[in-house]
Amino acid sequence: MIQIEKLKKSFRTEEVETLALNNVNLKVETGEFVAIMGPSGCGKSTLLNIIGMLDNPNEGYYHFDGQEVGGLKENQRTKIRKGNLGFVFQSFNLIDELTVFENVELPLIYLNVKKSEREQKVRQVLERMKIAHREKHFPQQLSGGQQQRVAIARAVVTNPKLILADEPTGNLDSKNGIEVMNLLTELNQEGTTIVMVTHSDRDSHYAHRVINLFDGQIVTESQNRAIGVQL
Amino acid sequence: MFKNYVKIAFRNLWRHRGFSLINICGLAIGLTCGFLILLYVGFELSYDRFHSKSNSIYRVVADIKTPTDLMEMSRPSCAVPPHLLKEFPEIISAVRVMNITLDVRNDRVKLKEKNAIAADSSFFNMFDFKLVQGDRSSILKEPFSIVVSQTTAKKYFGNENPIGKTLKIKNEDIDDRSFTVTGLMQDMPKNSHIHADMIISMTTYTQGVLTDLDDYWGTYDPSAYILVHSNTDPKYLESKFPEFLEKNIGESMREDKAYVSLFLEPLKEVYLHSPRGGTISGDMNSIYVFSIIAIFILLIACINFINLTTARSVERAKEVGVRKVIGAQKQQLALQFIGESIIIALLASIVSIVFIVLLLPTFNAISGKIISSSIFVNPAHLGILFFTAFAIGTLAGTYPAFVLSSFKPVHVLKGSFSTGKRGVVLRKGLVITQFTIAIALIIGTIIIYNQMHFMRNQELGFNKDQILVLETNISPAQKELKYNLDNLKGVLSTSLVSSVPGAYNNTAYSLMKNKDGEEQVANLDAFFIDYNFISQFGLDIVAGRSFSRDFATDSTEAMVVNEKTVELLGYSSPQEILGAHFSQWGKNGEVIGVVKDFHFRSLQQNIRPLTMTIAPDRTDLLAVTISAKNIEETLSAIQQKWEVVLPDDPFNFYFLDEAFDLQYRTQERFGNLFLCFAVLAILISCLGLLGLVAYSTLQRKREIGIRKVLGASVTKVVTLLSKEFITLVGIAFIIAAPLAWFIMKYWLEDFAYRIEIQWWMFAIAGISAVLIALVTVSFHAIKASVVNPVKSLRTE
Repeated sequence: MIQIEKLKKSFRTEEVETLALNNVNLKVETGEFVAIMGPSGCGKSTLLNIIGMLDNPNEGYYHFDGQEVGGLKENQRTKIRKGNLGFVFQSFNLIDELTVFENVELPLIYLNVKKSEREQKVRQVLERMKIAHREKHFPQQLSGGQQQRVAIARAVVTNPKLILADEPTGNLDSKNGIEVMNLLTELNQEGTTIVMVTHSDRDSHYAHRVINLFDGQIVTESQNRAIGVQL
Repeated sequence: MFKNYVKIAFRNLWRHRGFSLINICGLAIGLTCGFLILLYVGFELSYDRFHSKSNSIYRVVADIKTPTDLMEMSRPSCAVPPHLLKEFPEIISAVRVMNITLDVRNDRVKLKEKNAIAADSSFFNMFDFKLVQGDRSSILKEPFSIVVSQTTAKKYFGNENPIGKTLKIKNEDIDDRSFTVTGLMQDMPKNSHIHADMIISMTTYTQGVLTDLDDYWGTYDPSAYILVHSNTDPKYLESKFPEFLEKNIGESMREDKAYVSLFLEPLKEVYLHSPRGGTISGDMNSIYVFSIIAIFILLIACINFINLTTARSVERAKEVGVRKVIGAQKQQLALQFIGESIIIALLASIVSIVFIVLLLPTFNAISGKIISSSIFVNPAHLGILFFTAFAIGTLAGTYPAFVLSSFKPVHVLKGSFSTGKRGVVLRKGLVITQFTIAIALIIGTIIIYNQMHFMRNQELGFNKDQILVLETNISPAQKELKYNLDNLKGVLSTSLVSSVPGAYNNTAYSLMKNKDGEEQVANLDAFFIDYNFISQFGLDIVAGRSFSRDFATDSTEAMVVNEKTVELLGYSSPQEILGAHFSQWGKNGEVIGVVKDFHFRSLQQNIRPLTMTIAPDRTDLLAVTISAKNIEETLSAIQQKWEVVLPDDPFNFYFLDEAFDLQYRTQERFGNLFLCFAVLAILISCLGLLGLVAYSTLQRKREIGIRKVLGASVTKVVTLLSKEFITLVGIAFIIAAPLAWFIMKYWLEDFAYRIEIQWWMFAIAGISAVLIALVTVSFHAIKASVVNPVKSLRTE
């Protein structure tokens, strides 16, 4: 599904140029669950952003589902993102002015899905995330775990091929964290590809494969034997 | 999608209620000002346009050129209209309109009607004034016919039908005659430069009391209007007038060395564009001034809007990021934000309707005219208001929408986001623009008020206090009244005059011997007075003597002039003019004295050459100086005498000082309106500043926390936060001061007697702007600086 070759990304400030990704090669197959780990500033999130088509690389190739997407303009990237990709963030990033239902409904609106169909899909996914009883609440009225469940619901409501999770448990206590990880595992088992950035060893054990980044380069790759361990 | 946007917009507005209130109110005040000014300008521009034939109606005006003078008259001579009609086939009809004052009475009331006209019979055919009863073509045909307005009819006849009823009327020409009401008209529209409560037939003069008027080429009195065929070229018609004048009065023009030319002014331009006056007239300059103010105020309101929205963009950044990640395109987001700003603008327009409804009566009062009785009268007005709001919403929303929709989700979702430098520079620029406008308006207001104060308190060169002016008619009874009042307790002095300072005065075509011994032709202002006037009004004699009963010839062959006349005739000192020959309105004699120049007209005009002669047959005013004590008592005693001596005449009087100040009414209204708008401009600017400071302090919360931890005092922090904005106001002042100086210098040039622009006027404006800004800024700065730093650092 994802094929990345010789990827480079640098950030330039007035005086310094920082190389965030240096010659990264990565392949992710459909149905895989990949965790990206590494110390702060190693380029994890930059890589995730490029995979998520939120940013462009400076050099190298990025094929998504057989299509080269590394050099696309923002609007073109948006078009591919829509419906194909779902995002889960550490800080949830729900829109405060919208209710739970409306937040989850939003991606379907941008996909021009009909109203009746939208309602059905949103209800289904809310049920599944066990948050249906809160559909009329606003994000601030929910606990962190509940907010992240809403965020996951929003990420999966369009049935994306790929879910990108940026430290999804970073702001959660361990109980809620485990719940979220179990949800992601469940989605993965149903066929969704997941790429997750994490600091947590515990979370990385849910993945099939762990990639360690250091100073913008992939230093080690390891396979997890036990998949979906319940810790 | 659309529903989603609207929902978000309203929830956002509600969540940030304070901000929304500032934003909506600022815009609403701006819209209100803009709209009220639009109503005013629209009203001024609508004058005389309601006549269906207004495109083919012209006012006939005349220039008279003498060897020394060019007199621009608003009226041609009395004979011109009927002769034009006779000689030019292009002209369909000609109407003379003469302003007159009438003493009107019936068995119910007696009143002095100052708002009356005499008009030719085709008046109602030419103009579209609405008739309630009576036939357009015939109501003004017969002598001693009168048409009254509905309001006037009510005064004299109550609810009875006035048609066929009679009114007793007299003035200087009409000697207590019975007039028959032949027509009832609706009250004339306010936006008409011809405005009268009653109209008497011109035939009353031409066939009744002054029969030779149609062939009278010497008096430049009634205004004249002609209706021409629609295909007539007015310029071509004008080009034939010299020949017409040559044929009719060529000889007498050469004899008097006074050459007349006639011109046509389109009816629609008379009110605003004619420099000749003659009727109520508007001022194109104030229309420009107020239009510019309206644009400025709307601009200030738009700037607020842009500033507050972009300042808040940090808060909306997350939403933009999320939406983009989820699949929103840039254009969709831009549309969403423009939509939001349109919603805010439309809400503001609804609030402004409330403001307008509340303010309209006050605005009518300040501007001195009923510009609009209600905003709902004209649906087009509401349409304009909503359209303007929509346009502002779109225009002012575009920049913030562009900024917001350009945010990169990668940055904003990571929280590493801050507003760019460019945005800050722009916001500062906009604040400077706002305050430049506001400060310039404050300076303008200070200068206008000082000029008004100056005009009201300037030494006028005559006594104007405690002088009562009684409006009498020339008659033996009038002399009897004066005699009676002379002996009344509380009355200090009386005199009979044709004019008093500040009121209308005659101008007389005169021949005066100049320095070179030639008889010079001049159109001079003329006061016709009695022996007592000069001493009663406290005029200073600078050469020769005042009129005196000791000289028998003073009543027939003597003239007193002012210093300006001495100058006009070329004499180097007042002494030299004494004994110079004059000839004026059939009187011949010598100049016997010179008075010091005094302001017999408003300070807007230069003092003009003035002549004074004794003429008991022209003095229809009785000036009475009364003691400052027991004014009420004296007044009622005077009225009692009046009722005894002049039982048929309405008792009408005014105080000279009040009447003199009334000349400045237009300027005063201008000043008041200007003040209102200046205050509003400041208010909107401050609302904007308030919102901006609120967000700026919010953004610097962490910085403030750190500074406090490191030992900064509250004062230090307040100074830090205020300095930035006060600097902006300072820069605005530096731009505004020369701008205001330049504009106000131009404005002051309209006044013959004016104040000098002083440095302290700028200082006051500058200091008050800084103070107002400081108070506004401090409100938030203090709030932010007293917060416990632990709290602000933690929330970061």
